[in-house]
Amino acid sequence: MDQMTPFPLQPGTPADAPQPLVSIENLRVEFETDGGTVVGVDDVTFTINPGETVCVVGESGSGKSVTSLSLMRLVEFGGGRIAGGRLMFAPRDAVAIDLAGAAPEFMRALRGNEIGMIFQEPMTSLNPVFTIERQLTDGLRVHRGLRRGEARARALQLLRNVRIPEPERRLGQYPHELSGGMRQRVVIAMAMACEPRLLIADEPTTALDVTIQAEILALIDRLKRENGMAVLFITHDMAVVAQMADRVVVMYRGKIVEEGRVKDIFEDPQADYTRMLLAAVPKLGDMGGTVAPERMRTLDAEGGAAGTAAVKRGKPQPLLEVRNLSTRFPVKGGVLRRTVANVHAVEDVSFTINVGETLSLVGESGCGKSTCGRSILRLVEPQAGEIWLNGREIRGLPRGELRKARREMQMVFQDPFASLNPYRRLRDQVAEPLVNFGLAPKAEIEHRVAQLFDRVELPRSFLDRYPHELSGGQRQRVAIARAIAPNPKLVIADEAVSALDVSVQAQVLNLLMELQADLGLSFLFISHDFAVVERISHHVGVMYLGRLVELGPRPAVFEDPRHPYTKALMSAVPVADPRRRRMHEAPSAKPIASPILPLGHQPEASRYDEVTPGHFVLNWN
Amino acid sequence: MTYILNRLLSIALTLFLISVITFAVTTILPGDVATMIMGTQSNPQALAGLRKSLGLNDPLVIQYGRWIGGMVTGDWGHSLVFKVPIADLLIQKIKASSLIVVMSMAIAATCAVPLGVWAAVHRNRWQDALSSSAALVGVSLPDFFWGIMMILLFARVLGWFPSSGFADPAVGLLPALSHAFLPSFALGLGLMAHLTRMTRSTMTGILGQEFIRVGRAKGLAERTIVWRYALANAVGPVLTVAGLQVGYLFGSIIVIETLFNYTGMGWLTYQALLNRDIPLIQATLFVIAAVVMLANLVVDLLYLYVDPRIRLE
Amino acid sequence: MKRFLTPKGAIGVTLVLLMFLTAVVAPLVIPADFATRMTMSARLRPPSSLHWLGTDQLGRDLLYRVMLGARTSLMIAAAAVVMSLALGLPLGMISGFYRGRIDNVLMRLVDTLLSFPVLLLALTISAMLGPSVPNAIIAIGVAFTPFLARIVRGEALRVTQMPYVEAARAAGANDVQLIVRHVLPNVMPPIIVQATISLAFAILAEAGLSFLGLGTQPPQSSWGLMIQASRDYLDVAPWTGLVPGGAVALTVLGLNMSGDILRDVFDPRTN
Repeated sequence: MDQMTPFPLQPGTPADAPQPLVSIENLRVEFETDGGTVVGVDDVTFTINPGETVCVVGESGSGKSVTSLSLMRLVEFGGGRIAGGRLMFAPRDAVAIDLAGAAPEFMRALRGNEIGMIFQEPMTSLNPVFTIERQLTDGLRVHRGLRRGEARARALQLLRNVRIPEPERRLGQYPHELSGGMRQRVVIAMAMACEPRLLIADEPTTALDVTIQAEILALIDRLKRENGMAVLFITHDMAVVAQMADRVVVMYRGKIVEEGRVKDIFEDPQADYTRMLLAAVPKLGDMGGTVAPERMRTLDAEGGAAGTAAVKRGKPQPLLEVRNLSTRFPVKGGVLRRTVANVHAVEDVSFTINVGETLSLVGESGCGKSTCGRSILRLVEPQAGEIWLNGREIRGLPRGELRKARREMQMVFQDPFASLNPYRRLRDQVAEPLVNFGLAPKAEIEHRVAQLFDRVELPRSFLDRYPHELSGGQRQRVAIARAIAPNPKLVIADEAVSALDVSVQAQVLNLLMELQADLGLSFLFISHDFAVVERISHHVGVMYLGRLVELGPRPAVFEDPRHPYTKALMSAVPVADPRRRRMHEAPSAKPIASPILPLGHQPEASRYDEVTPGHFVLNWN
Repeated sequence: MTYILNRLLSIALTLFLISVITFAVTTILPGDVATMIMGTQSNPQALAGLRKSLGLNDPLVIQYGRWIGGMVTGDWGHSLVFKVPIADLLIQKIKASSLIVVMSMAIAATCAVPLGVWAAVHRNRWQDALSSSAALVGVSLPDFFWGIMMILLFARVLGWFPSSGFADPAVGLLPALSHAFLPSFALGLGLMAHLTRMTRSTMTGILGQEFIRVGRAKGLAERTIVWRYALANAVGPVLTVAGLQVGYLFGSIIVIETLFNYTGMGWLTYQALLNRDIPLIQATLFVIAAVVMLANLVVDLLYLYVDPRIRLE
Repeated sequence: MKRFLTPKGAIGVTLVLLMFLTAVVAPLVIPADFATRMTMSARLRPPSSLHWLGTDQLGRDLLYRVMLGARTSLMIAAAAVVMSLALGLPLGMISGFYRGRIDNVLMRLVDTLLSFPVLLLALTISAMLGPSVPNAIIAIGVAFTPFLARIVRGEALRVTQMPYVEAARAAGANDVQLIVRHVLPNVMPPIIVQATISLAFAILAEAGLSFLGLGTQPPQSSWGLMIQASRDYLDVAPWTGLVPGGAVALTVLGLNMSGDILRDVFDPRTN
């Protein structure tokens, strides 16, 4: 392959026009699997200009990651092969080169030097047994030949650049001593070490909390401007795309569907897939002025856009009343495994859910929202508080009565892969509540299960299948069918759509809202995604460190947040509208509070101020 | 500080349990000890007398107390077979066995780790197939089979090493090593096979992790990635496996030492079992279990050194 | 199913089936005295067309002896593994499912037992009970139990924390239903893999026990006993040791291969 060809200039472009930094032309990547050759990406063509951010967006299986890994020639390490096309790259002070044919030594010199890359999982991106200093400096030593002292100084500089507090201390620390957000900053520092011309970021914020995500996005943006660096940003999140991109490339099943400037893509999408994707993404602030939840817009089977339909509201009659709920987990230590401290997962939480309505519990990871849901079902035992379902107190029920009471409240879990028994047929799993609660005679159960499958829009042919034969979205539908089988009054959805692709997520959310309208179901919807919560809730509760910091009707909480934590969260959520960009990089100097408290510590009760009718804010003084 | 105290408490508790189990296995099981020693045709009066002199008629708790009390004060009793204080026997034999245990582990580790890494790096290619097949065969052959092969090949045919006996290293290092070599090698081969498989699977798991990809993305040489980045993470798990193997080794030395007539702890234990020498059985069982437990403790402490994540306990 | 068609799988399963078939069929087909008939004039003959694997020091045909020995060796090993499962499975399940104090106590006991080398435990139990085939089974079975209990406990612990178990609990299942419908079916595949490997170890253990005279007793014959008997004649007639040793090796190899393949088959990541 001819490596030293200069870029062909576009006809009509003046001779001194800027040349692209990267030009991917007709890229085709194949993988060898047990089942034959699989095409990862096909005929992918786009360019990246110096100093611009190009976002490649798509759902799982779209080939976006494969594209970026190909540019770095890392895809070969994962069993892939570049079967066609060119990867033109213009290094500093040199002629453009086709990376697809470059020698391994050349690529190695390029990686971490001219092109830096950061990945998705900060928790596993750093070598657990090496210090931060070592990991920051080994790239520098290899590419720049720095000696130990010089490398250390540069490492400190890098850490300061990414605004890590106490950088000297961090150098001697190990990765597990840092939080996820800080680890990602270190990873970014590593990628920036040799001042690359291009930074490839593969879903760098997907695994991070929303406030940390906002900080990292702002950091990347600032570094880009300060260094004149180009950024290739891979993501599935259209809101992030709106915040970061100059240009957007939309991919689906290994091919490019559409490409253009960010404003054009968002305001005037040409391809059907792009339009579907945009429609499926809930935009924060869209619900301003409405009161009730609204269905997501999707392209239905006929190919046109279905109209939005407001969901009927149930009468405001209380179904579930939670009062002063507290759940703690013991921390064990010592030879005899005695309790040395407690994790205060849920602390003095109270709320009410009405019949036919949805209350969402929203917050970042570790705030206790999941534990709250599981405590209500008594899958984990709370230490204090009352749980009233339909006038019956649940927490005090003995085991036998509790079993029966569980008929009324069911749960849908986050991980569609782990919430179904891999060794049981789907029909048996959906039938299980009917069988356990004795809700139908044997002869009728088959019929009921088939009806449930119809209700969740799964073909009856799936009845005899096993979980591994279905996709994530389909498995979640099975889980929903199982949950509604005993005709419960309350369904707790614990991050039920978080693991799904955006288009599938929209369908499942619509299904949930339809079920609510048809069956009068109440939902306790647990999520970290504010935009989704805005769509689906009647009431919203914001949790932090085990406590409810704000609670009220959805319009009140979203349009008039009062608690500083709520305000901080809301301002950090990216909006899927390029006209509404906000980048503030607050230094992450706030100490990470811990819910682990010593034995015998008696936390004070939560006190709330009612700022508007039904809208409660935790008194934080 | 509290960590050390906790560990010491844990060790004491385990030693206590080990002693109870040892005592239980040798006394509670059906079968009259006196008959086992003197034979079923013996004179009933003589049997009764032996039982009395061995203190077998006392309640079990008293017998246990007597035994433990003796051990704590340094009196480990007398061997019925060898007619000498057990404590003296133990000291000699422990030294002898330590030599082959250490040698076999050294042989195994120095060969197995590079081989396992090599197989993992060339996963699913001929290098992997070759070493994995060899390791599989190695794990499938009984130790004494290796021992017999060693004797046949090196001692009888080639005559390079002696086929039996033990030589005290204090007396002469070369004869000691020469006598210890074949038993160590026989033990080491089985261990090497197992360790190769473990190293390979550990390395394969590590090489699939994200930080390896990040290392490559930084432009580090593949050599560095494998032998520094990955291997540093493999040391912990492989160490743990090696620790578990110590237990297995102390079982195997019974057969190997007997085969080679190498008078170490394994040989001693076998003699004790064969002749139903109860005091000696109890002593050797206890010591072996205690040594295995201590070896695992050492591994745990080494792990603290190797894996920084554990240190924050 | 496709996984069994790898070379490793095919060889492994073939070996295992071959050995087990031999163990079951040979005693029915071969008259017992073929293996015990001593022909003093044909002692220590190398393999020939008359005696395919040669003869031992008493002129007995090794092929027939090794085929009949299969029965004893495999029977002891299989019975011992079944016994260790019968003891270890309930122990491990209770520990892993109920956790808490009972788990702490049981596991401390198991961990302490694991300080005793398995072979040593088996030898001791056999010696104290008096060596015989039933006692060898008990000795090996009891010695293997702690290890198996630990593995069962680990799997039970992992499975009971899966969301589908919580979902079943929320769907009104009681403990028995949970264990039978959800925990056991998910615990069994790795346990089956472990049982295969344990079978391999049990054969090695029986060989070791018999080699030391604390396993099968004459006049019964097993592979370990045959190896032991051949010790004095290895210089002049190595096949007397190689034949039973090879039989052990092939069986154990086949079981190890099958265990590896089973592990791949059951690996959830490749499903």
